[in-house]
This record gives sequence, structure tokens and C-alpha cells, in this order.
Amino acid sequence: MSASSAPQPVKLSLPLVYQQKLFEELRKEDELVILARGLGLVRLITNLLHSYDAAGNNLIVLVNAEDRENAWIGEALAEHTAISMSPKARGLTVVNTDFTSVGTREKMYAQGGIFSITSRILVVDLLTNLLNPETITGIIVLHADRIVATSLEAFILRIYRQKNKAGFLKAFSDNPDPFTVGFSPLATMMRNMFLRKASLWPRFHVQVAQSLEGKKKAEVIELEVPMTDPMREIQTAIMECVELSIHELKKENTGLEMEDWNLDSALTRNFDLMVRRQLEPNWHRVSWKTKQIAGDLTVLRGMLQSILALDAVSFLQQLDTIHAAHKPAPGTTRQTESPWLFSDAAQTIFETARQRVYSSKQKAGPNSTIESLKPVLEEQPKWAVLADVLEELDRDLYFEPAVRDDSNGTILIMCADTDTCRQLRDYLQTMHIRPRTAKKVEEVYDPEEDKPSGAFLMRRKLRNYLNWKREFAQVNNVLFSENQKALSGAVDPRLPQARGRGGGAPANKRRRVRGGGGIGSNPSRHENGSIIQHFEKPNEVADLMSEIQITEDDAGGQAAEELITFTTTTAADPLEDMDDYYQLYDMQDLVVIHAYEGDQDEHVLEEVKPKYIIMYEPDASFIRRVEVYRSSHNDRNVRVYFLYYGGSVEEQRYLSSVRREKDAFTKLIKERASMSIVMTTDSHVEDDPESAFLRTINTRIAGGGKLKATKATAQPPRVVVDVREFRSSLPSLLHARSMVIVPCMLTVGDYILSRNICVERKSVSDLISSFKDGRLYAQCETMFLHYKNPMLLIEFDQNKSFTLEPFADLSGSLRSVNPENAGANDVQSKIVLLTLAFPKLRIIWSSSPYETAEIFERLKTLEEEPDPIAAVRAGLGEGESPEDGVNEGKGVGINGGTFNMEAQEMLGKVPGVTPKNIRNIMAEAENVREVANMEVEELGRLVGREAAGKIVEFFKKDVLEDHSG
Amino acid sequence: GAAVPGGGGSRSSVGSSILVSPRQKGNPVLASIKSTPWEYSDIPSDYVLGSTTCALFLSLKYHRLHPEYIYTRIRALQNRYLLRVLLTLVDIPNHEEPLRELSKTGLVNNVTVILCWSAQEAARYLELYKSYEHASASAIRGQQKRTYAEQMVEFVTVPRSVNKTDAIALVSTFGSLREAINVATDGTTNGEERLGQVQGWGEKKVRNWRRAVEGAFRVGK
Repeated sequence: MSASSAPQPVKLSLPLVYQQKLFEELRKEDELVILARGLGLVRLITNLLHSYDAAGNNLIVLVNAEDRENAWIGEALAEHTAISMSPKARGLTVVNTDFTSVGTREKMYAQGGIFSITSRILVVDLLTNLLNPETITGIIVLHADRIVATSLEAFILRIYRQKNKAGFLKAFSDNPDPFTVGFSPLATMMRNMFLRKASLWPRFHVQVAQSLEGKKKAEVIELEVPMTDPMREIQTAIMECVELSIHELKKENTGLEMEDWNLDSALTRNFDLMVRRQLEPNWHRVSWKTKQIAGDLTVLRGMLQSILALDAVSFLQQLDTIHAAHKPAPGTTRQTESPWLFSDAAQTIFETARQRVYSSKQKAGPNSTIESLKPVLEEQPKWAVLADVLEELDRDLYFEPAVRDDSNGTILIMCADTDTCRQLRDYLQTMHIRPRTAKKVEEVYDPEEDKPSGAFLMRRKLRNYLNWKREFAQVNNVLFSENQKALSGAVDPRLPQARGRGGGAPANKRRRVRGGGGIGSNPSRHENGSIIQHFEKPNEVADLMSEIQITEDDAGGQAAEELITFTTTTAADPLEDMDDYYQLYDMQDLVVIHAYEGDQDEHVLEEVKPKYIIMYEPDASFIRRVEVYRSSHNDRNVRVYFLYYGGSVEEQRYLSSVRREKDAFTKLIKERASMSIVMTTDSHVEDDPESAFLRTINTRIAGGGKLKATKATAQPPRVVVDVREFRSSLPSLLHARSMVIVPCMLTVGDYILSRNICVERKSVSDLISSFKDGRLYAQCETMFLHYKNPMLLIEFDQNKSFTLEPFADLSGSLRSVNPENAGANDVQSKIVLLTLAFPKLRIIWSSSPYETAEIFERLKTLEEEPDPIAAVRAGLGEGESPEDGVNEGKGVGINGGTFNMEAQEMLGKVPGVTPKNIRNIMAEAENVREVANMEVEELGRLVGREAAGKIVEFFKKDVLEDHSG
Repeated sequence: GAAVPGGGGSRSSVGSSILVSPRQKGNPVLASIKSTPWEYSDIPSDYVLGSTTCALFLSLKYHRLHPEYIYTRIRALQNRYLLRVLLTLVDIPNHEEPLRELSKTGLVNNVTVILCWSAQEAARYLELYKSYEHASASAIRGQQKRTYAEQMVEFVTVPRSVNKTDAIALVSTFGSLREAINVATDGTTNGEERLGQVQGWGEKKVRNWRRAVEGAFRVGK
């Protein structure tokens, strides 16, 4: 604290009693805080940070913050500083990939302040002592629920606690669920974080309840909106598909614990994750089909959501895309389509979804051209309700305008995401509703004849959809025709037709209004029984088009007029810059549409000060935020309208999320009650690294004999680790075994164990993919150039089965061993090819990262310690300086390039780019965009003409163009 | 069908069949070798799989009882054969300790450890080594041909949270990847908005996509 002994000179913004209590607790001691969502976690953290910030002379590290949280916290700290005018406060410094120079970081750390540091950078800086753990005043951990034992954050905390026992450590989470899974999970998690006290704050906590319910509560009006019949039908059909998929899963995996796999839990938020987690241990063993179904469940759950969120046309469009994406891959002979696509329910989904948009009268002959399509364009039921509510609010404002309070007259509409925001904005702009400013309305419109409707919007959407679909048929054809041809016997009814269109289409591809559609009228099925996509006849589409075109024109005229009125009164685009928009409009008359965005919503409430809130979709934490907001301000009245579809998945999901959180907290409270004894005994076993180190040396001397001479000089065992490897848990485990980790930017290998031993680590999935793209072969080549004993580590997951057998092709057929297509089959055949190509390559098989750490330790005995400088230099061409990787004195730093793995990986996927020429490209081009815009001449200089041709063709290929183009 | 042991017939079978040491008699692995001929022969290793490749067979169950056995066998190989495979059958649950030991053994004694979990899988390895004796490694050098759709999907799905459906929606909206990339980095909100309007592309995906395509390969430079 600063010199003044007076109570803190800082101004806090914690109006509620429970917030103040919690704050005091946190100032006093280290603890893990689990706060129910919506009760203002970020606010608490910023106040806490500010109290330290204002005191000055601090080095505080914020761990595990997301980008957006950094932004909020940074902003809030700046605000606090301005309010309390504390001269010493310096605000938040974010250290991420933009701050890559080792020197800059070192200087910044020396100055102190509050830093939010990306975990991968932080761990490296701590290991290289660029940021000396002893100089840290304290660490604040966000998302404590994600700190599992093998995580990078747990590694960071271990390094910190080993060297610094005095600094504070506080962890936060607003997600109690993960703390309740497994055996005494809370205790385990707290041990990972070296914390001994847990502080739990559910919504039903006495103090929270008192704070929120004591004063006048916010007025909440629930509006249950019924779904339309087709919507309900589709929802039922999707659920049927979910049920079917679950059934198939159960059939395929009889040995698993599957009591929880039912429709009911399928509706809760992360059922697909749950299934996946349960399959994880056997993921290698589960059949291809099971994986497919697990993926299907994700898709189906997405559909459950979109049937409510998207309008009829967009939903249909989504279905089309999903259908296209689930086409069989080329050359596969097995049944590649998802089982649900074969069900009657799937047909119902596709059929009904289409009938919500347009209907046709189907007559006898499939070639009959007399049938006509009519737009149906069902609107979302919530739209009308929303319009009603807005109208009611209008009246309200008009008749009793003067309730004296501090809020603005603003109406805040909250919805799930920006897509919905956009949808609502479009709807409100075009719904022909009278503008809210009452006077004008009376003059211009007669409410009777001008009921709000989304017809205009829907027509526009349908028009766009029909255009899109025409192009999409083409895209589909370009992307998948190869596949279709490959499938023996399967004749795609669209193919001949599509080609014909290619020839006769007008030049302007985006305006190909009457070009044509497809054959096939009602959803028919492929020969194999799955549904094929529906394509309308050209003339039908043309009819439909002209119909909406005509009505569109007059509707368009009216709407254009109205749009102008509206821009001055309603509908703010959430994507627009808020500042601009505050200057332009008067808060009194605004309708603001916003998407739920976690803790940022609090900010929105404070800024907008709405009088009315319409929750277009239910969100439990937002309700709490409103409660907190209302209780924090005596003088602001808020009325909340709460819209949900009755009997929908949305409703059930909302209810179950509330219930689950409550259950989780109850469990946690129970565990905490029985935990105290365990923790006290535990606290003394804090591992002293030095004694642990001595232990390991002793065992080694006993077994190793000759070792004494080198080890007695007290040089601890050392491993050079590629910085990219910090994504895995192995470096942390090696460190836990008292090895010194030297992070470096390596070109060759992942782990350098000694002067001779270089290890390339591959998880099973890495192994498969790196065989496929040839990466492993190239890596082995370069390892052999620089090391005497290159090794391939095949590392299995701790919880997954330790076997490769399920990957083997054990058919015993002659074809499976045919050298002509060697390596085309199973992993085994690829391993054989690899060892034949590199007979000196040693393979380490490890059942888990824990095992790997043991094996490494054993391999290192009797070997000379590795030289980091040499390790970094290995593989660098002439003229490439190793300074990127090595920072004198400080050991080895990291260079920023390392951290844009995504961009490098993407580039690596481009056909024509090889592990060899990728370097040249990256030396010359700044990013993927630049490469994508290069032409053959330019690229040719870097990679040769042939490769350049492939690369350019890949980026330029236009799926909307015809084949010839 | 099953190959007849020693069934070479008229032509010399040495070139095309696996040589098996009589020691292996009774090993169920032999019954599983179905697609490659094999015959008994007096050899220092358990199997000869080519002019420069041999294999020793080790069951971990046996190894636990006779830990010295395998070292004697390795010693007997002397320095013969370029590729010396130690085909290890994992048939005990507590495999950790023996496998740690074998990793070190492989390094010291110049043998390549290959694990298998059944007699069938062991046989599969033996057959593969034999039949690939002269095969080309092109399959693991990334020289397989793939379709544009596959390559495109692989490329687009690198950034986190972007899936296959999104990839297809992306190219079908913008036509080409070049276009999709340029829109993303348009710099104006318009670009972001256009990306956001792609079916299924929310803010998060748009952000990840932008970061991936316009983020510099090497920031530090």
C-alpha cells in the first residue's frame, strides 16, 4: 500500500453489500472465488486490480484472460484511474503476440504495473527468468474452472509458487459446473492452484439474495410465445433424429456407460461435448460411424437452435448447406452419409422447412409444368409479439410520460447473437409499424390498416435465397462432382442439367435470374436411400421469382420512404461505432438492439440506462445483471419483457441451465464442508524442488554409476523444448520431474534430450495427419541431418486406450499388402514405410505424457546435456541468424513468428507448398493474404513455377465460375 | 488362403517369403500370416523380412518372466541387418515399466521397437515389412492426390471453430478463396459484415478467420 495510512485512497464502484464483503475478503487473503454468472465478476476484479494499481510499486500478472476481457478490464481500469485521480495507477498492459521483442518485454516488466500476459508467453518468460517470479507481487487467475493439473496455467502457478511464497494468488470463476465433475474435484482444482480457501457465491447466498431482493425489484413480464405448427413439427422431427442418432450410438458402443444419453440431456447445452468426452478414452477404438454420429449430434443441436433463431428462409438455406456438407467423400466405399439423413424425420425436416417458405401444388407427372410455386413465407411468431410490445411501450410513454427517474426512455432489446440483432434490425426497419414518436404517427398512419408484418423482409430474403440457391447448385457441382463420379453406380440427377446450364447461362453470374434451376421436384432419395437435395424446376422458380418481384416493387416503394423515418428513430446497429451513434441520436427515443455478451452487458445497462428491456431470448445471467443494475440504482425503474417460445428447446434449456447451476453450487458447498481437514494435512507437502531434485539424483547414481562425475557439479538435467510444444502438457510434467526446461525456437525436433538425442513428438492424430501430408517424412530427414539419434515419440493420451490395433487393416486380403499402393491403407503400413526409409529412427511408445516424462529421464542418463545454442542453430540455413531464438545471457527467448502458428499451418495446407519451400514464402510474404494475392510470376521466383502454379490456382479457383472458366 | 509352410514349389521362395526361425513354432502369430508365404529357416533372428530387415518377437508376458532373454537374442544378431525390428506384443496390463526399459534398449542396441496388441496385428506388420521391401515411400511423403474440395476444406478449417459446413458456405458466398481472404481483410466494417452474413459465420469465426489470414507469419521480424 502507499505511504498514507488513511483508508484506501481509491474510489471503488461496488454498491452492493455482497460485493463489498467479497472485496474485503479478497484484500485479506488468497482464495478461489466462484461467483454465479451475472453477479458482476469483472467488476469485482477491476475494482480489486485498481486498488492495487493505485497503490503503485506493483507487478501484478493477470493470467488466462480472454481478449475481450482484457479490453473490458483495461477500459474499466482507465476509468477508475480517471475517477479516483490516483497518480500512481498505470492501467493494464496486455502482453500478447504484438509484443514480441524480448528486450521490450524485459523493460516493461522492470517498470511494473498490471500485465495481462498470454499463458504461452508467460511460461516462457518465467522459465527464462525474463520475468523473475520473485519480483511478482501477485497473480490473478481468471477462468479458474479451466485450470486442470496438466494445463499451462497450472504450470505457471507451480513455477511462481516454487520461487515466490509471499506473493498473493487469487483465482476466479463464474462457472461452477466443471468443479463438480470427477472425484473431489474442488479439492483437486484448488491443489492445482495452490489455494486453500474457496469462497462460493451462488445466487441463493444470503447476502446476495438480500442485496438483490431487499429494495424494489425489477418488474418482469413473461411472454410465452407459441411456435407455429410447422416449427413444432420440425422441432419434433429434429428431436427424433437426435434420438435416432443416440440410439445408433448406443448400438455401436455397447460397452459404455450411457445412462445419461437420452433426449432430455441432449437438450442441455453441451450434450455433444459430453458424448465426446465419454467416447474420448475409446476414441481410437470407436468406429468411423460413431465419430460421424457424434459429429451429427453437434449439427442437429445447431439446427434445434436455428429453427427458433433463424427466419424461415435462412433456416432453409442453412439446411441446404448442411446437406451439401454431408455428402460422401470421394472414393469411399462405406456408407458415408449420416444415419439421420435416412430417416423419415429428416424428410419431414427438409420438406416442412421448405413449405414454410413456399409451397407447390403437386400434380401427377413429374414433368408436368403446370404446377406452380407460391411463396408462403411464414414469419417468426416472436416478431409480432415484439411489435406488440413496442406498440404497448409507445402508448405507455405517450400516456404517462413523466415518471421521474434517472433512466432514459430507451428501449433495450437483448438477443442471442449479432445474427439475431441484424434480423431484428431488418424486421423493425421494414415492418410498417408506425414510428414510435407518437405525434408523427397519428398523422401519417392509421394503425388499423397498417399492421406490422415481416412480409417485405421475407420477400427480400426469398429473392436472395433463390439467387443464392442457383449459384449454390453450381458450387456444389464444382466441389463435389468429382466425388459423385467416383461413386460407382450412383448417378447424380443434377449433373447433366448443371452442365447444360453452364453453357447457356447469361454472362453476369450474379443476376442469372431465369437461367434455370434443377430437375427433380419433391424430395426424392438417392439410390442408397438418403435424401437428395431439392431443386426446383427452372420455370417454377421463374414464376415464383416474378411473383415476389412484383409485390416487391410496390412494397419496396413504401419501404424506402419509411426507412428514412426510421433511421432517425429506431434500430441501432450493434456493429456501428457506439460513440458516433450517441452523438447522433437522442437517448430518449432510441431502440437499442444488443447481443448478450457476458460481463460486458453490465456496461451496456449502465450506458444505455434503459427504461424498458425486451429479452428476445431467455438468458439467466442477464436477468441477474438486471437485478444487480436495479438494486445498484435506487432511482432507476426498469421493466423487463421476457420472450420465449413455449414448449420449445429454448425454454427447456433455460430452465435446465438455472437448475444445473444451482445443483453445482449445492454440491460444491457440500464438498467444501467436508474438505477442510484434507487441505490442512495437504498443505505441508509442498514439494521442495531442491530435495526432490536430490532424490532423483540419488536414484540415478545408484543405477547409473558413471554418472557421478558430471552430475556432482550440480548441473540439473536439462531439456531443450521447442516453444510450440508448450501447447502440450509434457513440458510441465518434465518440469515437475525437476528437469530444467529451456524454451527455444527450434527448427529441428521438438525436444532435445542430449547432444545426440532429438525427439519428434506425435500424438496419434498428429501421426496420422503428418503421414498424410508428408510432414513427418521431411522432419525425419532433417533430424538425421543434425542428430545422431533421432527418435519418434508416439504419445497416447492419458485417458485414451493405449493401442494402435483398431487402426490396422486386418482383413488379411492380398490387396491390403500390395506394394503397388504401399501406405495407402492403415497406420501400420505407414509406420512400416517410415522405418524402412529410416532404419536408424528409434520409436518411443508412450501411453501418456506422464510416461513420456519418465522415459525421457531414463533416456537422458549417461548422455551429455544438450546445448541450447546448437539446438537453435540446427536446421537454420546460412545467413539466417539464430538471434531470433537466442537471447544472450537470458538463455533463449521466443520470436513472435512462433506464435502465429495458425497462419503457418494454413499456408502449409495449400497445395504446392512443401515443408521445404514454405520458408521462402514466409521470408517474402507478410501473411496469408499476401500469398493469396500473388501471381505466378512473383511466386515462381520463390518456389518455382510448378509449385507457384498450384498455389495460385488454389486461391483463384472460382467455384461460381464454370469449369471452363 | 493360408500359405503352406515351406511351400515354395518350383521357384525359389527365398525372395518372396518370410523366413521364420524354428524357435517360433507354436507362436499364434504364424497362423495369422495369411497373405504372404513363409518358411522355416535357420536364422539368428526370429524373422527375416528382406535382405536388410529382420525382426525379433517379444511378448511382454514372457519378458516379465525372463528379462534377460531378449538381450541374449539381440546380442546374437551382432551387427547384421540394417533395420532390426523388435516386434513387441503388449499382452500385460502393467506395460509401463518394461516399455520404459525397451525405449532405452532400442537406443542403446540399435533396434526399432514396434508395438502390437494382438497376434493378428503382429502378423500384419510382418507381412507389410516383407511386401514393402522394395516399395516406394511416396505415400508418406505427401504425394497423394486430393480433390480441391478436400484441400479447400482443410485450409479453411485451420482457424479454430471453423468447420466443414462453414468452409463450404464461405467459398459458395465469395466464389474463390482469394476473394474470401480479401473480403476478410477489407479493413472496413463492411468486410466484417459481409463475412458475418455468410451462413453460420458468427463474430467469433469472423475474428478467427481474419486473424489467421492477415496475421503476419513472423511478427518479430
